[in-house]
This record gives sequence, C-alpha cells and structure tokens, in this order.
Amino acid sequence: MNRRSFLRFLGWISGSTVMTACGKRDSRPKLTSYLLPPEEGIVPGEARYLPTTCTECPAGCGGLAKLREGRPVKLEGIPGHPVSDGGLCVRGQSSLYRLYHPERLRSPMVRNGGKHQRMTWEKAFSLAAEALKESRERGHRNFFLSGRTTGTLSALIDTFCGRLGILRLPEFEVYAHSAVKEANGLLFGKRDVPHYRIEEADFLLTVGADILETHVTPVAYTRKISRAKSRGDFLWFHVEPHFSLTGANADRRFAVAPGGERYLLAFLLREVVEKRASKSRPPREFMDVFPPSPAEEVSRSAGIPVEALREIGDRLVAAKRPLVIVGGVSAAHQGGLEAAVSAALMQWATGAIPERVDFARSENYRSVGTFRDVEELSARMGRGEAGVVFLLRTNPVFSLPQRFAFRENLKKAKLSVGMGDFLDETLREADLVLPLSHSLESWGDAEPRRGVVSLLQPMLPPLHDTLSDGDALLGLLRKASGEGPAGSYKNHLFEAWGKRLGDSGRSKLLEQGYVEATPPGKAIPPNWKKAASVLKDTGPAGEVAKPVLVLASSLRTFDGRSRSLPLLSEIPDPLTTITYGPWISVTPDMAKRSGLEDGDEVTIASSDWKVVLPVKVQPYLPEGVFVVHRDALESPPVRMQARTGEPVEYIEGVSFAKTGRQAALPILSGSFSQQGRGIIPDPAHLDESRRHKRWTLYPEHEHKDYRWGMAIDLDLCNGCSACVAACHVENNVPAAGKADHLKGREMSWLRIEPFYEKGEVEFLPMLCQHCDNAPCETVCPVFAAYHNPEGLNVQVYARCVGTRYCSNNCPYKVRRFNWRQHGWPEPQRLMLNPDVNAREVGVMEKCTFCIQRIRAAKDKAKDESRKVRDGEFTTACAQSCPTGALVFGNLLDAESRVSRLARSGRAYRVFESIGTEPSIHYLRGKHPGRKT
Amino acid sequence: MRRTIVILAALGYFGASLLLVAGFGYLWHRTDPAPEQPIAFPHTVHAGNLRMPCTFCHVFAELSRHAGAPPVQKCMDCHRAIATDREEIRKLTRHYEEKRPIEWKRVYAVPDFIYFSHKRHLRAGLECSTCHGDVAGMKRVRRVSNLVMGWCVSCHRARKAPLDCPTCHK
Repeated sequence: MNRRSFLRFLGWISGSTVMTACGKRDSRPKLTSYLLPPEEGIVPGEARYLPTTCTECPAGCGGLAKLREGRPVKLEGIPGHPVSDGGLCVRGQSSLYRLYHPERLRSPMVRNGGKHQRMTWEKAFSLAAEALKESRERGHRNFFLSGRTTGTLSALIDTFCGRLGILRLPEFEVYAHSAVKEANGLLFGKRDVPHYRIEEADFLLTVGADILETHVTPVAYTRKISRAKSRGDFLWFHVEPHFSLTGANADRRFAVAPGGERYLLAFLLREVVEKRASKSRPPREFMDVFPPSPAEEVSRSAGIPVEALREIGDRLVAAKRPLVIVGGVSAAHQGGLEAAVSAALMQWATGAIPERVDFARSENYRSVGTFRDVEELSARMGRGEAGVVFLLRTNPVFSLPQRFAFRENLKKAKLSVGMGDFLDETLREADLVLPLSHSLESWGDAEPRRGVVSLLQPMLPPLHDTLSDGDALLGLLRKASGEGPAGSYKNHLFEAWGKRLGDSGRSKLLEQGYVEATPPGKAIPPNWKKAASVLKDTGPAGEVAKPVLVLASSLRTFDGRSRSLPLLSEIPDPLTTITYGPWISVTPDMAKRSGLEDGDEVTIASSDWKVVLPVKVQPYLPEGVFVVHRDALESPPVRMQARTGEPVEYIEGVSFAKTGRQAALPILSGSFSQQGRGIIPDPAHLDESRRHKRWTLYPEHEHKDYRWGMAIDLDLCNGCSACVAACHVENNVPAAGKADHLKGREMSWLRIEPFYEKGEVEFLPMLCQHCDNAPCETVCPVFAAYHNPEGLNVQVYARCVGTRYCSNNCPYKVRRFNWRQHGWPEPQRLMLNPDVNAREVGVMEKCTFCIQRIRAAKDKAKDESRKVRDGEFTTACAQSCPTGALVFGNLLDAESRVSRLARSGRAYRVFESIGTEPSIHYLRGKHPGRKT
Repeated sequence: MRRTIVILAALGYFGASLLLVAGFGYLWHRTDPAPEQPIAFPHTVHAGNLRMPCTFCHVFAELSRHAGAPPVQKCMDCHRAIATDREEIRKLTRHYEEKRPIEWKRVYAVPDFIYFSHKRHLRAGLECSTCHGDVAGMKRVRRVSNLVMGWCVSCHRARKAPLDCPTCHK
C-alpha cells in the first residue's frame, strides 16, 4: 500500500465513523393528555383483555384480544370457550396482520374504465340502489353470494335480500363438506356436519379428514385429541391418499389409493356389522344389496395391504368407543358419497350416535351450498340474466375452475358489488368495491356450532373508511328501500340477542364472549333404502388415472384466503419447512427416477391446463401422487361430483416434465434427519448409567425465588406452529422475507423441527434452552449475554455490539441476528407490543421466556405481597398451544406442573451430554398407558 | 521536519474527527431541561399555594407505570368557574371546547427500551420529589435529574433494589 491509498482509506474510514455518529434527531417526545378521563377500570399502561371471535376461517374459535392504549396488540384463545377452549391456531394468531395490513381497502371504490376510483359511502350506496331499481324495472334477477355466515348476520342477509328482491344463493365455501352433508341428509334426514366428540372415543379412525389443519374446526379437534391422549387408552389411525400434518401425527398412518376410500370403508362397514357384538344391526334387505368383497380384492382396489385392512378392521371391532371421521380429500372425489355413507352407517352400527357423533350440536354448515350452486350462478350471469350481483367475503374467481368462467360471466352482470377487505381476484373484477371492517373493528356475532353464540365487538374505531358487514348491509338497505331497521347494526344485534338470549343471556355474552345452550342429542335410525341405493354398486370400478395431483388444504392459508398475511409466509410449513412457496411435493422414488432435487422446476399439465412449480421431495408420500396446496393454484381445473356437488380435489393423469430451471425455494431446515445426534433420543439415551455427573469449572448458579423452566410434551406437540405465530406477535419479531431466508437469516425465536425417521415424523419445538452453563454467555466480550438470578439467559440489547460469537457457540442454533433494520410499514407499527423493545440492526436477539410477562406477573404479585403462583401466567407460545404441549413455570417450586413434568420418567434435555444444563425439559414417548 | 508535519497532520486529522463526533453527540441529544409548555401551567399555584397532592392530578402514578397528565376535563372541573378570564385558562377552555387534547412537552422521558414503573417506585415508599425535585416551587417545571443509567443504578444500589438488567431493560 502506498502513501496515497493509505490516506484515501484513512479518509473513508474516519469519514464514515463521523457519519455513523449522526442519528435522526429526536424531537422532544410529547405527553398528550386525554380529553376525558378513561372509562372506569381502564388504566393507561396496563393491558386490557376483551373477548372476540376469530374470523380468519369459518371455525369461529373464541379469541381474547389484548389491548394496550386502545389498540389490539395480541390475540389469544379464551379458556373455556365451547369451540376452542383457550387455543388459537397459526392463522388466528396472524389475524392481527390482516387488521393492520398496509394493503387493506381504505374507502369505497367504483370501476371507471380499467381502474378503481375512490368515492364516498353515500355515493356508493346511491349507485347500488339505482342499479337495483333499474334492474327491477328491466326484469333482471339480482343475486347475493357470500362466504359462510352464521348468527345475526345471516339473518340480516335474509332480511336484506327479502326486502330488495334479491335471490340469496347458498353460501360458497371451497371446503363445504358437501359429500358428508349429503350422506347424513340421505341417511338421517340431517344435511349437517355433526359435532364429533373425539375426547369420548378410545379409537379414532380418520379417513382423509385433516382434523389438525383445516377440517371444520381444527383447534377444537386438536384439544379433544390431547384430552383423549392424556386419558391414556386412546389410539388414532389415519388413512389418506397423500401425506399431511394430520397423517404425520396419527399413531398409525396408512396410505390409500386416491379414490380407493370407498372400498376400504365399505369393507370396514361389513367387518363392523358382522363381527361387532351390537344390538344395532342393519336389516336383511340392506345386507343383500351390499355384497361382501374379499379382503384381497379390496386391498387391490383401495391400494392397502391386506394386513393393514385386517388391523384397522380388528381395532374397529374390538374398540369400546370407536369413532370414524371421513372428510377432506377422501370425501372430495367421485366416490366421496359412498365413502361418507359407509362411515355414517359405521357410526350408527358402533353406537357412536349421539354420544360421539352429535347432530343436535352440529357444526353450522347448513346454509353452505356446493360447487353446483356457483356453477349455476355463473351460467345465469353468462346468459345475461343478472342485474346486480353482491359478493360478500368470498373469492370464487380464485377458487373455481376456469371452466366455470366466473370471472368472464361476472362482467356480464349489470353491476357487481364486491364486499371484502382486500382487492383480491374477485374484488378486482367488481364494479363497485365496498371495504369492510376487520372483525376487531366491528360489532357482530357468530354461531359456529348450533347452540354456541360467540361475540364480536369493536376494539378500536375503524382504521380506514370502512363499515362493518352489518352496517354496510343496513346502510344499503335503507338507501335502496327507503326504510329498514333503524339505528346501527349494534342496536340491531342487541335487540336480536335480547330476543334470543334474554337480558341475562345478553349480559353474559357481552361479559364472557360466548353463551352455550346444550340441546340434548338423540339416536336416529338410518334410512336403509337410501343407504342401499348408494352402496349397491361398490364393486371395483373405474380406476383413478395416475399420477394424481392432490390439492391439499393448507395449514397456513386454509383454502388460500389467508395468503396475503405476511406472517403466514414467514412461518415455515411444518412438514417441509418451506416459508415462501409455492411448491409441489414429489415422492422420493419419482424424484430419483427423474433426477429431481429440491427447487427444480417442473411443469405439471393436464389436457387443458398447466402450471410450473418448484419441487420439494417429500418422504413418505405414496407413489404416483403429487401434492400441491390449494393456495398455490388459481382456478385449478377441478371436476365436480355429480351427486353431491363437492369438488374433486384430485387432478388425474397429469403429465410432468422438468423445465431445467432452478427456483429459489427457502427450506429452513438444515436437516430432516437427526444425524444420529439423539435430539429426540432413543430410550437408551435415558438410562441412568448415561447420566453421570459432569465436571464444570463454573460456579453453580444460585436461584432465590424463581427458576423459570419449560416442559414440552413431544407426544402432544403436532407441529401446528401456533406457538411460532404467537411468539412473532408477542415479541415484535419481524418478518425477514424470502431474500433473507434464502441466505439462512430467519428471525423467528421459535422453530418447529420435523425429523423424518423410521417411517415417522416427529416435531420438536426448538427455542432458547436457557442453559445453566450457557455456551453463549462465556464468549460474549461485552457481557450482553448473561445469566440472571431467575435462571434466564438474558440478552441485553443495549450492550450487544454484534460480534455474533454467541450464535456461533450456541449448540441449539436459536440466536437470531438483525442483519438489517427491519421495517414495520404503516399502520403495522401500531401492532408492536409496547412491553417489548423492537430491536435494531446489528443486535443479537432470542427467546426471553416472555420476560415482559414474567415482569408483569411479578409486579402483580408484589402488589399483593406474595410470590407468583403456578399457572398464574404463561409464555405466549404456551398460551396459544392448542394441544397443551408446552408448560411453563417455576422449577424451584416442587409442586408446580413444570417441576412435576421435569421429574417424570419421560423427561430428557437436548444434548444432555455436553453439559449445558438447559431449563427446557422435553417429554419423550407416549403418554403412560397409551397403546401402541 | 517533514516527518513532524506528517505526524502533526495525522494527529490533527484524528483530533478534528474526535471533536466532531463529540460535538455532534453533545448537541444532537441535548434537550432543554425546562421547555416552554403550550399552556403555562403553574405548579407553584396548584401544588404550592393550594397544596394539592401530586396524585390528585397524576392519578395513575400510584396505579400504573405511567403517571400521565390529567385529562382536560379534570382541569375544567374547576376552571369552568375559576379564573376564567385569564389568557391561559382561555387557552385551556378552547382545547376543551374544540375537543383538542393538549400536547405537553415532556420534561422527563426514558427511552423506548426501558421499563419504568411509577407505581413500583411509589409503593416502595419513594416521594415524587426524590426524582422530580421540588416541583411545587418551580414556576416552569425543570428537569432536576439526568435519568442516565448510572443515576438509576446508584439509587437502586443504595436502597438494595433489584440490579438485574431486565428489571429495567426490556
């Protein structure tokens, strides 16, 4: 280096040093006084919790919104809620991102040429009212199509349509469970999805129903399974044509040929009827038209080994309280009705109705229609019959096959009025767009299950110029008819609740967020004639042409409706650990034969449709099957079951070809195998002889009052990722984005690690282990990582200078570095938790065991001059966990739940042999007493 | 000779850089300890002459981490009748009638990453004046303590209050 370049460098270095000293000059902070004193009971700076109902999917789980200074900053489950009982799934947790989404619709808009122009509500109402009048004069038909609505809103839509002469169509849902409803309608005269009491069963057989992901009410099912597991004698078999999270969690999983479910279930029905000791026997006439088929033949048609057939059959026959649930992809094929009818008859024959299959409290799906209804609507619009078409919170353009031509036909309506919160595929086509408030900004109610009324109430005034669903309809009704129920939707609701529940019921609803009536269930005999007519030809029929592309529902986006929420792309899919998709899952054999690797792009095509997607090799996927999540495909070319109107969620006989290109696919897992490191050890690792005393040079920590610790039950954990979402929202953990993920720079403090071994998948939640002898602490040159007297491994952000030594030295790889300043676009900044500091660039961060919650609990305890009690508070991840797998508490208290679990024979700690002495105890193996 | 010049130039260069950084640091973060407020509220009258306790207006100090400023309505409870002809009270009335909250300038502020609870400090038996000084004698409120970490820690040490980092750092 010569003198000149030395000076040049010197100049650059010192110049940039000076530059970094300049920050944004803080203007003096303001102290704003309230105009009026806050309401009784509200204390600024203290969190307040109000009940609400989650509207992210149709399940209607109860939610508790945490409010700080008048804005919701976190959603949790309501303990004791009849649907969800305290749990809230990954989508529900992310619903705040919908409320504060920067791209939400901000005002009514009208199409002018190709573009949407903003307008006032008054003008929008006038426009729709005039169009309705004109349509009446010209004799056009007006239509109203919505997604699933329940409770008072559904009744209001009836009033709205009745008064204005609008034809209200059956509601549109992709997952309408039409085949199951049709079967129950034929057999029992009840076109319903019953309420399944899984917790009462000792043997559960699920066929295709993805009860842990999207099926009807997944949080409720998850809790029920946990309850059944803790009872001890519970066993769960799952049969499916592909590979899903539900399948990964069942005690045994069997693959079935796509479309082969009907043969399997007919066989099992016969087994149950013939071998099970029961008073309920079908009449002879039925048994005559329902021919027996030999196990070998069924095995061929259903693609299941004979031993497996026998095993499932024997368990069904031997179980005291068996329960069969058919649904999801296994009801969504041409033989779906037969499968559903066989299952329903099995419920009857095993005495499951009404104890375990309750029609009196059925899930409220009666108003939901089928694909046939929307096909008809599309055809009528295409013939030019449609005057005004209302579309409320539904996205048929995205979900329906191209062949229905919904997008094109919608344009032929005289006026299409789209109501929703984002400019999605359907609203983009609408002439008039009416923006609706988020459920946290609106009054309302839901009746997800018959007899359960769940409350929606505004937590904050609307962020934008939006109206609640009810107020928008009432406003339009008043404008168009000149009359209509007076007052706001709130008044309307209060009146309706008063009428239905009485004054005390209404007060209870407003206070606890839900009320529940308990209608008694009763046994119903099946209609054997109709059963016989469906099942008479279950003989081997047309095979499904392979390879088959299975359209699976997505844990993260349901039917695609949640895909605009950034957090749900940031959180990995638990089976593949892919964050920013889409992708197509391919069997390992197929990948090997075709020379495919993760990220290779392939073209998947059927006769008149094709799509290009990157590949993910999915172990345990049955041969001849590809899987793609429904959210990845716009207008997939699905066919329809003729008898039930249920879509066929398979695309048969697809061809596939490599494009030769590679797509950037962020797969966060470093390894799907434990590489023999015993992260989830074999029982051998648990031998006392291996737990020898290790020498340490560090002094023992002294814990005075508390030593915080956690127990994680791996038998209960199902990888649903609700904890990950809860952690993100609670701790202001930013979404890093695809580009960062591709560099391995994720930010999540908590990850779910799937390990594929010995034909099974096990999920392990990995977070900071808060080690006693923490390797991160000893290498920090500035003491930013240190051990506190309560056993927490604390990271002091103000001290951290970003050497990243701690991360390098962490055997669990749970520390996250801020490679850049993460932004919170407006108005997302409003959802930041004020109790947690948003970290800056150059700082290391990690799980704190929700130290802000510990602080709040200690503060409360100190006010009452006592110690924090066990179970008084818990971390965000443990709170949201629908399975109850995570238990947090004080390890010094010998009677606390976490201490008892940590002392149990199932407890171990990850990498025990390296002597880090973690505070997290994992519980391995099945619950004591559970069958295998 | 030339060598000395080079050394001097280099030293001078670094010296100037250091001075610049120090100057920026000082000027950038300096705030007026006694800012002029939108309404010249006299603590001398209310807390001094009238001997109103601090928590009469700052009600949340004993209940929450924030002491807060009183709601405008609280001021109006008295000033609907008292001294209504004074200019400052007219300003107050205008705020109330136009439904405009008053934006006071903060005299004391801790950074975002600090958890500080008024409630905890009051319940530990501290007087308001321990940190805020004799406000009753201040015509315009003036910051009397600099709120740097050392200042907090010295008191915590003296009173055997917790010294663990996350007690205050969030």
